[in-house]
Amino acid sequence: MNGSAGPAPAGQETTPLLEATNLVKEFKVAGDGVGARRRTVRAVDDVSLTIGYGETLALVGESGSGKSTTARMLARLMDVDGGEIHFEGQEVGQLGARALRPFRSSVQVVFQDPYSSLNPRHTVEKLVTAPLVYQKRKIPGGARDFTRGLMERVGLNPDHSSRLPSQFSGGQAQRIGIARALAVDAKLVICDEAVSALDVSVQAQVINLLRRLREEEGFSYLFIAHDLAVVRQIADRVAVMSAGRIVESGPRDDVFGDPQHDYTRTLLSAVPRIDPEWEAARRRNRVLRSGAADDAAL
Amino acid sequence: MTRFLVGRTSGMLGVLFVVCLFTFVVFFVLSPDPAVQVCGKNCTPERIDQIRLNLGLDRPFLEQFTTFLTGLFVGRTYGVGEGAVQCAAPCLGYSFQTSQPVTEMLMQRLPVSATLAIGAAVLWLLAGLIAGVLSAVHEGRFLDRFLAGLTLGGMSIPNYVLALVLQFVLVVVLGWLPFPQALPIGEDPVQWFLNFLMPWVVLAVGAAATYTRLTRANVIDTLQQNYVRTARAKGLRQDLVWRRHALRPALTPIATMFGMDFANLLGGALITETVFGLNGIGKLAADSITKNDQPVIMGVTLLAAFFVIVGNMVIDLLYSVIDPRVRISA
Amino acid sequence: MPETARSTAPNSEEGNLLEVRDLTVSFPTAEGRTEVVKSLDLDVPRGGAVGIVGESGSGKSMTSLAIMDLLPKGGQRSGSLRFDGTELSELGNAAMRRMRGDRIAMIFQDPLSSLNPYYTVGLQIEEAYRSHRRGVSRKEARKVAIEAMDRVRISDAARRVDHYPHQFSGGMRQRVMIAMALSMEPELLIADEPTTALDVTVQAQILDLMSELREETGVGLIMITHDLAVVSEVTEHIVVMREGCVMEKGTAEQIFSDPQHEYTQLLLDAVPRIDDEIGALRTLDAEGAQP
Repeated sequence: MNGSAGPAPAGQETTPLLEATNLVKEFKVAGDGVGARRRTVRAVDDVSLTIGYGETLALVGESGSGKSTTARMLARLMDVDGGEIHFEGQEVGQLGARALRPFRSSVQVVFQDPYSSLNPRHTVEKLVTAPLVYQKRKIPGGARDFTRGLMERVGLNPDHSSRLPSQFSGGQAQRIGIARALAVDAKLVICDEAVSALDVSVQAQVINLLRRLREEEGFSYLFIAHDLAVVRQIADRVAVMSAGRIVESGPRDDVFGDPQHDYTRTLLSAVPRIDPEWEAARRRNRVLRSGAADDAAL
Repeated sequence: MTRFLVGRTSGMLGVLFVVCLFTFVVFFVLSPDPAVQVCGKNCTPERIDQIRLNLGLDRPFLEQFTTFLTGLFVGRTYGVGEGAVQCAAPCLGYSFQTSQPVTEMLMQRLPVSATLAIGAAVLWLLAGLIAGVLSAVHEGRFLDRFLAGLTLGGMSIPNYVLALVLQFVLVVVLGWLPFPQALPIGEDPVQWFLNFLMPWVVLAVGAAATYTRLTRANVIDTLQQNYVRTARAKGLRQDLVWRRHALRPALTPIATMFGMDFANLLGGALITETVFGLNGIGKLAADSITKNDQPVIMGVTLLAAFFVIVGNMVIDLLYSVIDPRVRISA
Repeated sequence: MPETARSTAPNSEEGNLLEVRDLTVSFPTAEGRTEVVKSLDLDVPRGGAVGIVGESGSGKSMTSLAIMDLLPKGGQRSGSLRFDGTELSELGNAAMRRMRGDRIAMIFQDPLSSLNPYYTVGLQIEEAYRSHRRGVSRKEARKVAIEAMDRVRISDAARRVDHYPHQFSGGMRQRVMIAMALSMEPELLIADEPTTALDVTVQAQILDLMSELREETGVGLIMITHDLAVVSEVTEHIVVMREGCVMEKGTAEQIFSDPQHEYTQLLLDAVPRIDDEIGALRTLDAEGAQP
């Protein structure tokens, strides 16, 4: 593997939305114990990837693989120690804070813990319109109606626009983060373990929402997750990271169906599964039951 | 380990150097002319020149400073020819007031300050830990609230007020205690103890209150740790759960704070010593400041800085013994 | 919500290691006591494994802490907990303490914070053993600790026994916890989300290890988890909980192949699969409709 995340899907011969080449991030860490020499650790080592328009790239790996660090560099929340990031053809890897402003509204990040990334003292209205106010952009239709519209689109009750983040459940708070991406017309949404802490039923809702917005808004996603089953539900392409490198990448069905790298195979075989026979039986029973319900209705 | 020691020692020397430089600038360069101070009331310009020469005040600043440093580590000679005086290593100069070597003055006063510091430390540590643990055990109940009130009082009462009140009640009105004097322990240990009792209490009250709060918070926090739950789930006896799994982690951070506070006190308890008229380093500092006795002020400052820096290093070393997560690499 | 119960494994009442009847756990709140576990019944067959599955707030963890009598401050339990013929709810503190660790052991979600950072793992295994086996010397206890670490496949146990928790990886720490729990050869092991904090490859190793140890020692298991796939691999019996109530219980096969309760069906539909069709995940409400 050459570490590249493969070509963008057909139909996007033009420049991809985001293209990162040979990204490097190094950290200085204290040695073991007091007085030991400081060491340099390469958290991200020569990582290249591309994300096309409307495409979802999943970055998977175990803890310490460097997937979150990569995401943070791509969002320019962290300085890049080496390599380049091109967003819509423009190099953004070394831009300063001021020059990054247009990039900032094009790329939004949704983190694992929504409560720590939303100001607890701001209402939904303030949270959602803040990026526009900050950029001195006019709020179309006024702040109240604008917020209500966004809340409807992400499946929140519009009447709750003056509530605080703590008044929402985890899944709902995650929707506020997504509404924020809608507010600034983001093109790329980076989900850094965005559904990992949610209960399964809530997780399913958020995944469905993300999928719907991809259709409706043309969002591209960089989806960081450790849960391969979740990734499989949403990714177009998958890049597997281990020890700071991309060890395998390609279209989802190739990576999941015919993994090439040993590490990918280990990872996939480790995922706990429900007995396929039970699953098949359940599906049969469901059909039977709904049939029975129909019979009863007749 | 060697790496650590070398690193820390050189760091310590660096800090001491900066402290020296700073105090030297403040006391010798920015203060009124030392020669005039030494000369006193009946003074002639010739005498002032003579003193300048003796103290080396005619030399450029850098040379004066290096001479001072040399004096600290190898000793120095004041004056020239017949009247030259040899000042031995750690030389801090001579008092402008009494012409006594500053080092000697400090060494005379140190036992009093050390006695004060050790006694007070024992008191506040005992009181603080016991009250803190009791508060934690009785969290939210009467004893906890009672101790919280007491703690608040202890923290808010200025120690000179406490000193005066205690003196008035215990010495003047009740006559239970003698008026404190800095007696040596050898002659009459009981008298010695009674003498120091009041200053110890005065010095300890504020710190005891702080330590009570800190201990309480740490113990309550530790009891909520998952490993305490594990210890219970293993079926350990309650006393073992407490001793081993709750108290040790809870008290470790207090050791750090204690080291700092104790080192601080060794440098003199200015107010307490002054109020009780105990001839410790704090009293020396107060006296020398009022009389603008620069070498003494500087000596006191450097000694206090020395204790704090050494104290810090000792804590770091100790901490790596207490907490396995910060073990010093071999 | 009605409980959909089917006759599960216990052939005879005597066959059960643990029988929980009408367990209710409550905590004080501003509006009086709130019940986080409501009238729960649970049977663990001797040597059998029961999974308690539920989302956050389902009361699954409180159930396990209630069995151990380790509820957080303010927590109260009522109901009957019969363990091997002994009524746990009638035991005094000292008798319950002797029960914990020795006959009912427990491991937790986060192995790092569950081990005391100030002591070697050896000491933490030894102290448990010595507090239940009076008169055992340190040397003997140490031997037990090394054997226990060996049994959970920690290589070089004789050396690792003197290491501190922070010197182990996450998976190794959970092995240490398991070694500690099994060193007393308990009859019942309660595992509260034992693999949730671990990477997927490590999770697989720990789950394998737990299955192997169950076969070797015959220990009964209560596994508490939010992860249906995990529980499907480990336990024969499953209890589905929601908001303190049991929604459904049965054998794993029954629950997974023919779930009766609507909530169980929903849970199974909501879990993304690694080997199933990809499509919209079914959710409780129409997607997004929030009250």
